[in-house]
Amino acid sequence: MMSFRSVLLLATLLALLLAVPPLLDLAWQNALVNVLIASLFALAFNLLVGQAGLLSFGHAAYFGVGAFAALHLMIAIEDGLAFPTPLVPLAGAVVGLVVGLVAGFFATKRSGVYFALVTLAIAELIHALAPRLEGLFGGESGIGSMRMPFAGIVFGSTIEVYYLTLGWVLFCGLGLYLYTLTPFGRLTLALRDNEQRVRFLGYDAHSSKVIVFAISGMVSGVAGSLLAISNETANYSLFATDVSAQVVLQTFVGGSTVFFGPVIGAAIFALFSFLVSDLTRSWVFYQGLIFVLVMLYAPTGIGGAIQHHIRHRRQLDWPALAAPYAAMLFGGLLVAAGIVFATEMVAVMFGEDYARTREAAGGALIPFELFGATWSPTGPSTYLIPLVLLGAGIAILVKVRRRIDAVWAARGEQGSKTQTLATTGGIQ
Amino acid sequence: MEFAIISTLNGVTYGLLLFMVSAGLTLIFGMMGVLNFAHASFYMLGAYVAYAISPIIGFWAALVIAPLFVGLVGMGVERYLLPRVHKHGHAHELLLTFGLALIIEELIKLFFGDFPVNYQMPAELRFSAFTIFGTDYPFYRLFIGGVAVVMFTTLWLLLTRTRTGIVVRAAERLPHMAEALGHNIPLVFMFVFGTGAALAGLAGAVAGAFYPTNPNMGIELGVIVFVVVVVGGLGSLKGSLLASLLIGLFSSFAVGLDWSLASLLSLVGLGD
Repeated sequence: MMSFRSVLLLATLLALLLAVPPLLDLAWQNALVNVLIASLFALAFNLLVGQAGLLSFGHAAYFGVGAFAALHLMIAIEDGLAFPTPLVPLAGAVVGLVVGLVAGFFATKRSGVYFALVTLAIAELIHALAPRLEGLFGGESGIGSMRMPFAGIVFGSTIEVYYLTLGWVLFCGLGLYLYTLTPFGRLTLALRDNEQRVRFLGYDAHSSKVIVFAISGMVSGVAGSLLAISNETANYSLFATDVSAQVVLQTFVGGSTVFFGPVIGAAIFALFSFLVSDLTRSWVFYQGLIFVLVMLYAPTGIGGAIQHHIRHRRQLDWPALAAPYAAMLFGGLLVAAGIVFATEMVAVMFGEDYARTREAAGGALIPFELFGATWSPTGPSTYLIPLVLLGAGIAILVKVRRRIDAVWAARGEQGSKTQTLATTGGIQ
Repeated sequence: MEFAIISTLNGVTYGLLLFMVSAGLTLIFGMMGVLNFAHASFYMLGAYVAYAISPIIGFWAALVIAPLFVGLVGMGVERYLLPRVHKHGHAHELLLTFGLALIIEELIKLFFGDFPVNYQMPAELRFSAFTIFGTDYPFYRLFIGGVAVVMFTTLWLLLTRTRTGIVVRAAERLPHMAEALGHNIPLVFMFVFGTGAALAGLAGAVAGAFYPTNPNMGIELGVIVFVVVVVGGLGSLKGSLLASLLIGLFSSFAVGLDWSLASLLSLVGLGD
């Protein structure tokens, strides 16, 4: 069971989630709704990946069908069906469950790489079919509906949608957490660790995997229908590979080995895409870079690294670690600054606007604006600054890593997670 | 008849192109058990590198340099990135290549923009090979097929007739035994990965001049190539040749035929 301290932490978080949003402006409320939805989707995805050990590359399918199911129910409510609007995600849950059962039946016949390919193929199949099935998915333009009032709640403002989403996300998140405590939840872990043994113990491994897959599909469907309620519209692009890719990135950056890890990843990515996507076109590039760096240097993700530190908090010599960790954060920031500078410079210099101004200037390499300063494409400082930032950052990281390894080794264990802070620093 | 012959020709050349990409993928999977998600990105990288350097050094030189560059990138990935995640299992290797595919696609968008680039074949290759049923058949399609055939023959001879080929096959079957006999297996793995990537790059450099070169070409081809290697049997070179031709023919016939299940039913009087 959870300790008193973690219960207190969760209660504080819950109080913040309840109390803060009304004070924020509309854009932030909307961003928080997206964070909540992404968190639930990542949790549902991680039930399959982290707990059952089945790596799916096509979870957009269940997210998408949930969204469309919710919209069809909302259209029916608009036409006079007496159904409470707050319970609309139930439609997503049912459809996600059914589609998950069918798809899971086929996909879980194989494991490993083959499972990943089958799930990818199923999602691609739905993505290709969806624009043609006009009645179900509304063709290229998609379908839309309005949130109908229920019991005096109008669902007109974003804050009402926020509380509805929060309620569903907490309900489903709690359900998924309690699931891990049940005997079947333990069986799910066993499926990941040793499937053959599960079979020898007399369980039907295939049926169990189908059930886990279907539950994951069901909760993904709820997340999808929450998105549909928030946006009041959806089209076939919900089934695209990007959506499946996003949830993979979020889950593994957050950490698939810890239950709440995916929430960290989803919250970071959803918030950053809200904050940064207006400033840069290269946001997806940074996401990919962060993902690869986390895979290379902290395979258990941010959540895993935090858990690792908490687990050893009593054995560690924290005062000795403080300085190297601060240096590592600084080095990480330098590297991040170097990468961002270089990327944005490339984006400007190879961009269409710059090509047009160059053409107007007769093909000369004219200076350009970036970060509030003017840079000359032929000047040495333009290239030296990112190089020096990167070089200095990497040098600091390499040096500091040895010291941190030594501190960790001093308590009798290899400091394998040391680079983690560098990568989390890289996010900023 | 006209439709059948043209479709067969198109299907075979497209199938051979698919084979150029899937050969490397299946070779790498057979050897290391790594399903390289970034493989189709190597194909795209080949096309874009050839597009970028061909105005400077010419089309033919670009056809050599681009695959070499992509091969070096592949070797770097195998040497410095994959071993770091190897101990965490195949899922992490899959995820790493997945992330790399994303990075390559975004880098290409960063340098070349979101829209198709104008990568054209040189004028001396722009003629019709023969005229069939009143239509000119472009020589370049045959050129694509020819490059694939030459490449496959070279690969086949290399694998079955040379000493290097025997070491590679031994490394695929029993890596530990081959290593115990004194062969440098990590080096072999690196070169196989590089060769596979270079083949994809060559395919991209050749085909990019004929088919559209845009940032989506990787993911579009990638899905088909996964179908090819799964249908052909992961790890089997001959199987993937057969599957490539099959899928190539299937897709070129499917484009031209407007059949549906309903028209099948109308054969027995149940149609609309």
